[in-house]
Amino acid sequence: MKQHFDVIVIGAGHAGCEAAHAAARLGAHVGLCTLSTDTVAHMPCNPAVGGTAKGHLVREIDAIGGLMGRAIDATGIQFKLLNRSRGPAVWSPRAQADKKMYGRWVKHALDAEANVEWLIGKAGRILVSGERVVGLALEGADEYACEALVMTTGTFLNGLIHIGPDQHAAGRAGEPPSRELAESLKSLGFEWGRLKTGTPPRLDRESIDFDRHADDGTFAVERGDMPPVPFSFLSGAIDRPQIDCYLVHTNDRVRDLVRANIDRSPLFNGQIRGIGPRYCPSLEDKIVRFPDKERHQIFLEPEGVDAREIYVNGFSMSLPRDVQADLVHALPGLEDAVLLRPGYAVEYDFIQPTELTRRLETKRVRGLFLAGQINGTSGYEEAAAQGLVAGINAAHRALGREGFELHRDESYIGILVDDLITKGCLEPYRMFTSRAEHRLLLRIDNADLRLTPRGRDAGLVDNERWDRFCRRRSRFDRNLCVLETTPLRASSGDRVPAAQLLRQPEIRLVDLIAQGVVPHFESEPSSAAIDIASAETTIKYAGYLRRQQAEIERSRKDERRRIPPAFPFERVPGLSREVVQRLNQVRPDTLGQALRIPGVTPAAVAVLASYVGRFTPHPNML
Amino acid sequence: MFSTNDTIVAIATPPGRGGIGVVRLSGPDAHAITLRLVTHNGSLRPRRATLTRIACTTDAAAEPIDQVVVTSFPRPHSYTGDDVVEVSAHGSPVILRAIVEAAIDRGARLAEPGEFTLRAFLNGRIDLMQAEAVADLIDAVTPLQARAAFDQLEGTLTAAIAGIDAALFDLVARLEASVDFPDEGYHFVEPGALGRAIDDLAGRTAALLAGARRGQLIRDGLQIAIVGRPNVGKSSLFNALAGAARAIVTDVPGTTRDLVTEVVDLDGLRVTLVDTAGLRETSERVESEGVERARRAAAVADLVLIVVDEDEAELVGTKHLVVQNKADLERPSRGVRVSAVTGAGLDDLRRAIIAALDVEPVRDRPALTNVRHIALVERAHVSLTRAAGAARRSMPEEFVLADLQDARAALEEISGRRASEALLEHIFARFCIGK
Ligand SMILES: Cc1cc2nc3c(=O)[nH]c(=O)nc-3n(C[C@H](O)[C@H](O)[C@H](O)COP(=O)(O)OP(=O)(O)OC[C@H]3O[C@@H](n4cnc5c(N)ncnc54)[C@H](O)[C@@H]3O)c2cc1C
Ligand SMILES: Nc1nc2c(ncn2[C@@H]2O[C@H](COP(=O)(O)OP(=O)(O)OP(=O)(O)O)[C@@H](O)[C@H]2O)c(=O)[nH]1
Ligand SMILES: [Mg+2]
Repeated sequence: MKQHFDVIVIGAGHAGCEAAHAAARLGAHVGLCTLSTDTVAHMPCNPAVGGTAKGHLVREIDAIGGLMGRAIDATGIQFKLLNRSRGPAVWSPRAQADKKMYGRWVKHALDAEANVEWLIGKAGRILVSGERVVGLALEGADEYACEALVMTTGTFLNGLIHIGPDQHAAGRAGEPPSRELAESLKSLGFEWGRLKTGTPPRLDRESIDFDRHADDGTFAVERGDMPPVPFSFLSGAIDRPQIDCYLVHTNDRVRDLVRANIDRSPLFNGQIRGIGPRYCPSLEDKIVRFPDKERHQIFLEPEGVDAREIYVNGFSMSLPRDVQADLVHALPGLEDAVLLRPGYAVEYDFIQPTELTRRLETKRVRGLFLAGQINGTSGYEEAAAQGLVAGINAAHRALGREGFELHRDESYIGILVDDLITKGCLEPYRMFTSRAEHRLLLRIDNADLRLTPRGRDAGLVDNERWDRFCRRRSRFDRNLCVLETTPLRASSGDRVPAAQLLRQPEIRLVDLIAQGVVPHFESEPSSAAIDIASAETTIKYAGYLRRQQAEIERSRKDERRRIPPAFPFERVPGLSREVVQRLNQVRPDTLGQALRIPGVTPAAVAVLASYVGRFTPHPNML
Repeated sequence: MFSTNDTIVAIATPPGRGGIGVVRLSGPDAHAITLRLVTHNGSLRPRRATLTRIACTTDAAAEPIDQVVVTSFPRPHSYTGDDVVEVSAHGSPVILRAIVEAAIDRGARLAEPGEFTLRAFLNGRIDLMQAEAVADLIDAVTPLQARAAFDQLEGTLTAAIAGIDAALFDLVARLEASVDFPDEGYHFVEPGALGRAIDDLAGRTAALLAGARRGQLIRDGLQIAIVGRPNVGKSSLFNALAGAARAIVTDVPGTTRDLVTEVVDLDGLRVTLVDTAGLRETSERVESEGVERARRAAAVADLVLIVVDEDEAELVGTKHLVVQNKADLERPSRGVRVSAVTGAGLDDLRRAIIAALDVEPVRDRPALTNVRHIALVERAHVSLTRAAGAARRSMPEEFVLADLQDARAALEEISGRRASEALLEHIFARFCIGK
């Protein structure tokens, strides 16, 4: 008899690890199938977690009970809160990771889950019976039975690496591609496409004299925040040794070299057809598409406290190896740097995420879930966020529970999923804060207030996190109360509540606390910045928050109004053929989603609305 | 409930006009149905007028009833975006109706009001704003109104709003970029330039709104009340301006009791004239009720014509003109001198009315005439003003953005929504971003 699992996860990248962890935590017996345990939660590109909007995703993953926030807090070697000069709604944490330690930490976390069993091997065939997943066959022989299958194979499906004219099939540098699995998936009828991404060369730390170049000004030193602001709501103070990074700029010589060799770039000579991310342009792209920009920033980032590799951030390319070396040597201070590994571009297959439901389950095959780069996204955080959603829902599917959905108005994760399943991907998808309609409400400081109760309902928040959260929530409520009731002397001489004073832009809560005039304000030492931000934002920007909240309430009725799963769009009179086709392809579950489908007009949704009303007579179906 | 994949037909020219009348068919069978109506053999050449005769019964022996010109516009380059055929016939309503009925006999469906425009809108041939302009055009009573609607259709207003919208969009994109890409080394918006840029936009919405009152007057028409003592010749003047003997005229003071109204075209302006009872103290119940109504009409009118004979003018209404009537007789020289009997001075009076209303039509100034549009531009303006305030107080960008995005949403409800990716595209096309 085949061994049976509730949930099998293919891939132990950032999506797969979150998925396996979440499913196991919910009580599912999980088989985690991966090529090797050496590359668990591997970072094939930038050894960093977070950044604008991505930092929000990590905070949300953490608030729901995921791994990523704790993993980076445990292994981060330089932390920065981006956008600190702006308001708390767009503060975003980012941290450099010690790449090796990060992977090991996640592997240990999974080892610690009794419900997770490693299946080392190469997944080959998805076993389906009557539009339902029933198991997985590894390449070779073994077959396993399962109730739900989560695929998180990243860039491996028919992966093809390009370094100059050299091309070879690979999932990532040094790892084999997944061909059989790709074909197995395609044979199920999914719409798919081809994308591309790339990574810069790595340099040998020993070959670069950082101290000298920092002293003589060739390198600008980039320091992290002291003390670091952690990602996880569970983390205490971070006191691990921190490292510096260095900033240099490209020069005319770099520009000329790229131009002289542009016909040897697979990106420009037609060798690569997949579409790359415009927000992560290759060096070739930067020079060719923006000829007026005189210089580009390049960051030199150690891949760990003791790691040998230096990551050359901003220098991703697919030029031949000899040109890469020349380019590195053209950078100031890197004349003698040794190239350890060349940069490369990789093309891979992805599945159009319009094939998925809000639970990241495919519409064609029940029990089959897709998460991460396989859905056209790029980035560790985007992958992890999807892994979390897919993992929870796979467990719910296997255990017969109700399912877990996040919406746009409550989380960046909801926005990510909604964008994917509604619009599909034409280029690799990355999260930005500008994708959020109600950004002021979706802050890192209130990620737990927004989502920990949701995580608790889903079954992922354990008692420890929940108790901590409850304390934090009542601390937050008490703090608001303290600020409303502590009288302070205003410049007019009157005594007014601290809250009133705080509404003036120039009065800052940190200063009041430092002056000791609000002695009853409470905060945890490790998250003081967050406690203060939560309270201050809630008071200072109350008007703005109220307005966005009101907008959400107004639109929620339509936004969340359910379209029944089997709704016959073609039978609604007045809709053009194109609109019906788009609707049938995406099969939106709410009117709000229908309105966001490209090519579906507001007038069409207005017509749709009147019919949806008639097809759903029961209020509890709405 | 509309269906958009059948063929619809309707008379496309306004009712009751002479000359040429047009019947329009739109939908997949427009061409085939037309061929079964006309004597012409073979198919119609796209966009070429074909002279033929039309037979309106299925009875083959029947005489053709009219000579017509038919023109076929194959999809998608037609008014609705579907196959369209236009049949121009002599404008007798009887013939036009007969053609429509014959088309219905052959499988077309009578179009609902506005359905051609709806299809054009659904097929992306026109935007929402233009769709509304079409409705205005059809409702237009006078030439000036028709022109304001036409301007909108042609895009004077569309262009004005699109101009504001494009500048706002660029500003929003740059601010969004500064929030999303803080460490790219760019000044997406030059420091200090933000406040000025928003003020400029608010200035432009303010100008549109200032024009809106004028536009609204053109669209909805104005009320002009004619008041004065009994027997001064109000009803006579009313009839003279209306060009018809609508109100009773006698030499008995107190003839007019009820309000009498008539819509007239005053140099292109649509105006509702209101004749009223002569103002005087009276114990007669019917007449005193009439006087009361006259005063109320004067209070709500856009302009009051105070007609005097030999009496003193009793000033009523906030905006008024004194009209000295019976200028054909020996009368004092005050106000605008006219004679309702001879028609002398009526042109001067019309000019004076236009001047007093301050609605001099200006051809190239975009006029917001639609209540919904005014409300949206108003919303945009309020949001811009708030954003300007926030920028002046150096609030962080995301708060300024909250209002700018609202302004953008309001304007896009007029000019059409952008795809959600448009913002990022705008940024990536202009700035080299990312590592
Ligand atoms: C060269 C390169 C450059 C990149 N550059 C960027 C960038 O600039 N910016 C950015 O945001 N992101 C970048 N990324 C993307 C980022 O690394 C991914 O988005 C993220 O890691 C995806 O996570 P994932 O969990 O979906 O897949 P991955 O982390 O790729 O994990 C895939 C997992 O699936 C396993 N697997 C694959 N096939 C099989 C099989 N048949 N059987 C069993 N196991 C299998 C693999 O062993 C691996 O563990 C880059 C990735 C690469 C490879
Ligand atoms: N000669 C001359 N007579 C005029 C003129 N306008 C009106 N009249 C006469 O004045 C008399 C009153 O005219 P109406 O138009 O009924 O006056 P009115 O102001 O409407 O009167 P009430 O309705 O009773 O208030 C009639 O006999 C008209 O013929 C004018 O311009 N010249
Ligand atoms: Mg009268």
